[in-house]
Amino acid sequence: MALAAGLGLVLAGPAGAHHSFAVFFNTDTQLVKVTGVVRDFQFRNPHGVITLVVTKGGGQTTWRAETNSPSVLRRRGWTPDSLHVGDKVTLEGWPARDGTRYIRLKSARLADGRLVGQPVG
Amino acid sequence: MSMRIPTLLALILAPAVLLTEGCSSQGPAVPVTPAAQSAPLPAHPDFSGFWNLDLKAPRDPALMAEVAPGTVFMDDTGPVEFPAGNYGGLIPTPAAQAAIKKWNPREQLKPENACRAPSIVYALQGPFPIEIFQSDVFIVMKLEYYDLVRLIFLDGRKPEADFPHSMTGFSSGHWEGSTLVVETTHLEAATLTNNGLDHSENIKVVERFRLSADGQVLMATQEYEDPAVITNRGVRFIAWRRQAGQHVYPYECDPAFAGNYKAGK
Repeated sequence: MALAAGLGLVLAGPAGAHHSFAVFFNTDTQLVKVTGVVRDFQFRNPHGVITLVVTKGGGQTTWRAETNSPSVLRRRGWTPDSLHVGDKVTLEGWPARDGTRYIRLKSARLADGRLVGQPVG
Repeated sequence: MSMRIPTLLALILAPAVLLTEGCSSQGPAVPVTPAAQSAPLPAHPDFSGFWNLDLKAPRDPALMAEVAPGTVFMDDTGPVEFPAGNYGGLIPTPAAQAAIKKWNPREQLKPENACRAPSIVYALQGPFPIEIFQSDVFIVMKLEYYDLVRLIFLDGRKPEADFPHSMTGFSSGHWEGSTLVVETTHLEAATLTNNGLDHSENIKVVERFRLSADGQVLMATQEYEDPAVITNRGVRFIAWRRQAGQHVYPYECDPAFAGNYKAGK
């Protein structure tokens, strides 16, 4: 990551797939961290997606976290059963440049503190 | 060897075998003589196996020495991407600059584009493994990324006049000592840097592959020239480490994924 930053490059979670990580996610700002309850977990290429319901101040918002390609995730210890609807989880990732509640996942941590698979980087 | 490998090999090679019709290797069976049974090992290195991207492997001096003068080194192999406006030293032509101005990254988020594969120019350097099956007549290279499958012919054949363009193109290879040199044409226009700069269907790609001394790292340079798009030449260095007992996984991209972008609003 330091090398990439030094070269003016951006570290893509994984592979500039169909869309450009560098164009859509902001790596020059602080990581976003949200805690909530899993509403949906898609484990399919080109990216997995975790949908999270976050409750704060009496209101609820929905966040989505885009993961690496699931084929890459499998080699990092993830499976389709890594997360289940109703799990409480904390997600950390790079924010979307357009300000939507959409992040590129760096790490996922269960309520008991265990990491889900190996985090990016 | 498990049953899975020959089965996979048969599935992958089936179209290749059809394409090699007329080659001596597809002719009538030749009785195996005692001399043939004790034939020496192949003269060329065997690249067969599963290879996972290795970002720590240093650039191979022998391969880098073969890169044509004036070629810019593209340092974005693996999970690194150039941000908007940075093409890693490639110099876009006026026509390419005009195309870049029209490029709208939001188009990438549409279902019809969510599973659009890049050509081998961008796909080979991605952080996904490859698997190689090698014969004397052709090499099959299966990329996990987008399930791309390359055929590299080693028998000197040329593409037919109406050979279609595709994301894998037509690849012809030959050995220069222990280095495999592959020339690829007939690529469909696709991204060079995943940020608006696309190569044309006339791009010419030259790749050189060789093994490390211990045979555990497969190293490659991928050079390309495309005068309609860039006024200079580019090269990437890519390395993969051998991992026994593994195979590439199916990619099977699901365009329904694009719906998540809309839902994120």
